[in-house]
Amino acid sequence: MKHKKNTFIKIPFRGSGFSYRKNYWISPVVFIVLIALWHLGSTLGFISKLVLPNPTEVVIAFHDLYVTGDLYLHVGASLKRLILGWTLGSILGIIIGFAIGLFSLVRAGLAPIVAAIFPIPKIALLPLFIIWFGIGELSKVNLILFGTLFPTIIATYGAIDNVDRSLIRMGQSFNLTWFSITKKIVFPASLPVILSNMRITAAIAIILIVAAELIAAEKGIGAYIQMAGSLFAIDRLLAGIIILSCMGLIANWLIGFTERKLLKWRNL
Amino acid sequence: MELVVEGVSKTYDDLLVLNQIDLTADEGQIVCIIGPSGCGKSTLLRLMGGLEEPSSGNIKTRGSPPSDCLNALTFIFQDFSLLPWRTVESNISLVLEDHPISNKEKQEIINSVLQRTNLSEFSKRWPRELSGGMKQRVGIARALAVNPSILLMDEPLSALDSQTSEILLNDLIDLWDKQRFTSIYITHNLSEAIRIGHKIVVMSRRPGEVRETVNIEKALKERELRNIELEKYLWDLLKEEAVAAEREIGSET
Repeated sequence: MKHKKNTFIKIPFRGSGFSYRKNYWISPVVFIVLIALWHLGSTLGFISKLVLPNPTEVVIAFHDLYVTGDLYLHVGASLKRLILGWTLGSILGIIIGFAIGLFSLVRAGLAPIVAAIFPIPKIALLPLFIIWFGIGELSKVNLILFGTLFPTIIATYGAIDNVDRSLIRMGQSFNLTWFSITKKIVFPASLPVILSNMRITAAIAIILIVAAELIAAEKGIGAYIQMAGSLFAIDRLLAGIIILSCMGLIANWLIGFTERKLLKWRNL
Repeated sequence: MELVVEGVSKTYDDLLVLNQIDLTADEGQIVCIIGPSGCGKSTLLRLMGGLEEPSSGNIKTRGSPPSDCLNALTFIFQDFSLLPWRTVESNISLVLEDHPISNKEKQEIINSVLQRTNLSEFSKRWPRELSGGMKQRVGIARALAVNPSILLMDEPLSALDSQTSEILLNDLIDLWDKQRFTSIYITHNLSEAIRIGHKIVVMSRRPGEVRETVNIEKALKERELRNIELEKYLWDLLKEEAVAAEREIGSET
């Protein structure tokens, strides 16, 4: 390319793209279009009823669930196990994680055991837990507790390991007590990691409860899906799956809400 | 209070970092320590502040701190070391909370140091909202809150742009003029050292040793912006080693 010496050329803009723009209306539109296509396909017979029932039938299945009170029964049973197991697992995990993060002796003793148990797919422990704790609630709650506990321990002491040492030095240089440094520096510094780990453990807990209920339960979303599946009632099966999606979304939203409250120093 | 360093050496594993350092900071004197990177000046400061232990030798203070002093040896950090989850006033409150002080008294101390550092209107702000200069003011305010008798400053202006650091340097000089604190001031900026130091200690590296001590008699308030002659003298002392330090691979700071 050769330009004459005295011609001026406007500098072309080449910095567009690769940046995220907010768009609020596109996702509901996509959602509605997908449902509409599904409905259309079903009504016109493109989609076999054996594979996928009409969305209206799923809505009716939902309605039935609600009217008969089964919604409350199944969701209630699953939620009870989830909340109990997840809360206990998280609290215990944070406590043990702090102990490992703060005391070398505890770390030397427990960290290898935690590392050894962590990779076991926890669902494999269900038969063992049924033998230990019986077929009832205890085996399921313990499974979720176990599944939540180990990731929480590892995330918590990892977070403590990554606390900015210069802040701890600062605390020491002002003669803060050990307890003050732990409470006012180490804990808030590791909180973001602990909270984002809670998102992951909430998802793990939902996976575990459904799996446990699919295998051995009379009540619960997993049991409901299992029953619907064995009766080829795909409308009810889908209703169960949608409930699971909602549970995951709500859990995620709750943790996001907590993050915004507790970590307001991070963002505007 | 006076600070006396007697024959202090520090080794990490087998590496001799500081070798036989002797140094005195008299009451109300600002001692600047300059030297090429890797000469151990920050290590020396941490030793003086009791954050590390010398391998041999002694570090002592002489004289008693003021009666309302809560933390005799107090640091001001290069990276400010503010807690991002605490507001300006809460960051200052942090260093008072472990002492038996009433809430009213605490608030009075906080208000007083915020005023002395021109931060009063920012008391409820988060650190992330402040410029570097403002953050370091908070660091200074926090240090003043415990009424220290010796201030240990670790390159307090190095993270700031040159105009901001000029402003803060003048503020520090004004502050010294009012309170006459004793201070050890680490810097790699020669003109900064010449402006604020009553005594300049030049260190050499590998291992860190005191190479030369220069006293400046002129009162801080009367010094010119630059003293090219003295700067050149100091630079000549440092130059060779600064070049060597810059070419080093894998040196820790």
